[in-house]
Amino acid sequence: MAVSQCPNCGTAAPEGGHFCPDCGRALGAAERPRPTPAAGGGWGEFLDRCWDFFASTRVAVLLIVLIAVASIAGSLIEQENLYQDWRPPYLYYPARYGPFWGNLLMRLGLTHAYSSLWYASLVLLVVTSLIICSLHRLVPLHRMLVRPQVWKLPHFLSRQPITAELAGDLDGLAVQLKKRGFKIWRDRECLYAERGRLSRYGPYIIHIGLLFVAFAAFAKGIPGWDLSRDVWIPDGQTVKVPDTNFAITSHKFTMELYPNGMPSRFVTDAGIVQDGKEVFRQTLEVNHPLPYGGWDIYQASFRQEPGVAHLRVMGADGAPVTRLDVDLRQPETEYALSDQVKMVVTAYYHDFVLDPATKEPTNASFEVKNPVFMVEFVDRATATVLGRSALLVLGNAKPFYQGPLYLEVEKVDPRWYTALKLHKDLTTPYMFFGLGIVFLGMLITFFLFHWQLWVREESGRLLLGAHAHKNKFGLKQEVKRLPGTPIGEGNVS
Amino acid sequence: MTPPNPALVTAAAWLLFGAFAGYVSATILYLSGFIGTRISQGAKFAKSGAWATNAHAAGVVLHALAILARWQGAGHWPTSNMYEFIGFMAFTSMLAFQVINRMYRMDLLGGLVSPIGVFLLAYSYVFPPKVAPLVPALKSYWLPMHVSTAALAEGFFAVAFGAALMYLLRVRGLELAAEAGGAPAPEVPAATAAWERNWGQRGLEALFYLVLVMVGFMLLALPLRYLGYQWVFNTTTYHLPPVIGPFGAAVGTKGHLFGFIPMPLVAAPWTWRGKNWNTLLYSLLVGWLLYWLVRRYLAKEPLGDWLARKVAGDPETLDEISYRAVAIGYPLFTLGGLIFAMIWAKEAWGRYWFFDPKETWALIAWLVYSAYLHLRITHGWEGRRSAWVAVIGFGVILFTLIGVNLLIVGLHSYAGGDM
Repeated sequence: MAVSQCPNCGTAAPEGGHFCPDCGRALGAAERPRPTPAAGGGWGEFLDRCWDFFASTRVAVLLIVLIAVASIAGSLIEQENLYQDWRPPYLYYPARYGPFWGNLLMRLGLTHAYSSLWYASLVLLVVTSLIICSLHRLVPLHRMLVRPQVWKLPHFLSRQPITAELAGDLDGLAVQLKKRGFKIWRDRECLYAERGRLSRYGPYIIHIGLLFVAFAAFAKGIPGWDLSRDVWIPDGQTVKVPDTNFAITSHKFTMELYPNGMPSRFVTDAGIVQDGKEVFRQTLEVNHPLPYGGWDIYQASFRQEPGVAHLRVMGADGAPVTRLDVDLRQPETEYALSDQVKMVVTAYYHDFVLDPATKEPTNASFEVKNPVFMVEFVDRATATVLGRSALLVLGNAKPFYQGPLYLEVEKVDPRWYTALKLHKDLTTPYMFFGLGIVFLGMLITFFLFHWQLWVREESGRLLLGAHAHKNKFGLKQEVKRLPGTPIGEGNVS
Repeated sequence: MTPPNPALVTAAAWLLFGAFAGYVSATILYLSGFIGTRISQGAKFAKSGAWATNAHAAGVVLHALAILARWQGAGHWPTSNMYEFIGFMAFTSMLAFQVINRMYRMDLLGGLVSPIGVFLLAYSYVFPPKVAPLVPALKSYWLPMHVSTAALAEGFFAVAFGAALMYLLRVRGLELAAEAGGAPAPEVPAATAAWERNWGQRGLEALFYLVLVMVGFMLLALPLRYLGYQWVFNTTTYHLPPVIGPFGAAVGTKGHLFGFIPMPLVAAPWTWRGKNWNTLLYSLLVGWLLYWLVRRYLAKEPLGDWLARKVAGDPETLDEISYRAVAIGYPLFTLGGLIFAMIWAKEAWGRYWFFDPKETWALIAWLVYSAYLHLRITHGWEGRRSAWVAVIGFGVILFTLIGVNLLIVGLHSYAGGDM
């Protein structure tokens, strides 16, 4: 008798079965008879064809491979969110890859491959294929599994991948199989035993988990689902986080070093301020984010700049007159030096440079890099200017002055800025829930084995045919160990 | 900076050396046992396989002790740089082989998989073994969790690769035997198309060439590194004679190689890592030389065919071993390489996924093994074609671990890569 083979996976299928025992494909004529579409309506047939297309394992594998190839392309070309350059993409890529290729790559979306339309379309196609493949197989598979056919002809048994002849009787065998965790069905002279049926549902559990994962990935596009904010906070100050109702204080940022000078810890002593009051205070460090109000707050980076300059006011004779501390980020407009004299800051540049075009002094950046003061010493009673001085805080330039007083730097204390990153990602629970399901499904799929045994009592002998959906090797060992079969004998093929 | 316990770190180095010796002896015993049994027609060398497995197990135990000693000696879990990680992966591959071998007992597979451990351990010696303290980003219990689990999965993939390669050789061997006129063995799989056979043969040659490229790299890199040769440029130090110089290097400033090739011959374009491309050039050349020597003087025919005639074993069992190893490695990889990685990324960087090159390549590897699992149930793709996917999958894994660090820059750059 001709052995019928599953056209999808090639497994020998039970005679007259409607579905493949291995992959669940509907058997029968290669071209399934379809209900004739209603006159004038080609849509039914079109949908049918689409369904068949997406239900094919080959198409699924092809789509998986396409995503892999697309991902390779995206990893070889520097992506817009990862390159380390100050230039915007439209300047950076033409310089990086040449004007032709740079523009082409940008136009093809290869410079932001993973957020491009075509990558998203590929993922959507895979999701479609995953849903249709699963439905297409799960329904017939489930039907087949819950209603096993117990009574089988001898030639069905002899066609199974593992066969044996056992001594003993069916009742004894049933007891033995039960002990080994098999579930038993009996029908006249036949017995059917199976174990690990749940394993067959494993792939579909994985697929359901992957749907959650895909949902989470796409949900990032929903406005407000994936927010991120950056704040730079100098030591001792409080900065309002944009678009939230709280502010963060950095009481102190600390960088701890190993003896060899490598950084060992970055820690911010942070406080959360809501409605003008500090709600709580906690240290924040790399790998230990701080959750607050739906946001997670991360230690992202840090920066150090000249913070407070401790200055000496010197008499022209070189004798110190007094000291004062000047905040280099926000200096006061005037400082009282004594009851008689005050110092008026006439100009302050935090990053002094002479504008090459106008030759006027100006700031080169927003950072405190090259602070320069120009001050006047003024008699507080008469408001007459006693003298002037200019001071370059950094470097060892000689003081410029005119009149009885000048300024000198005693020391400059650094000011630490901590960079905190705030994330509010509503997709996270879906992603990790989905991944949990995926992993559970994998354990079920790969660590449970669906083993099926058919036994038939035939003129005093027991004929056994066994099929392992996974781990045939293990089932062979199991059959060899069955009582009544001398080990190494029997007809185990 | 001295590690917390330098004595233990030294002990770890010696234990590691013991493990290396164990794997080398296992390889020799497995192979000699196989060849000896075949020549003596089963009369002698019957116990070689068991000895080999014992030597191998001893290697694994010593390796485990080495990892524990380094852990205690260095004060952190030893998967924080390339030296430690590659060594760790050698350990997980050998551990995975022990697990699979307990199930299936196939000595010749040991002869093919043990060299993977030897190779990886030897490769780890290319990287500087000094203990460095952890940067803040790596200070997390997810470092041992994520890296060890992923490495264990990759160990199983290594075994799957070995079994798949052996399957391909065995099937080719049966095919050759059938062509030579013998009665076709019952286990010869269904005849494949001529183009498929041709490409299969070419694929095997390409694979052996690549393996010899890696062997060649080590034959060149290890001695030169230990002899202390170096060519110093402004930004990098070469340990191999610089033919491709770093970006901006002036041609011919470092003398001549063999007296006539100016060093460097060319400077790398600025988008390249000149030093690594230089190394790649040498490896390809030495690999080609080795391949030519073996083919010309030892095999006297394509290497794939030469080995295929020697391999024995039941193809169906080999196929199942390969599948079984993937079936264990795949969930572990999902857990360690993706899920744990995402949890850690969320904790350290604030996002669970960045499409950083390392992550992307882990995803690609996962996709390739997903394709493998689906292909096995697709008619016409089981057997050889899926075996090729298992082979390619391990190539992707190696690229993820080594190639990405060496050739592409990304967030994982602290993992380092210098050769």
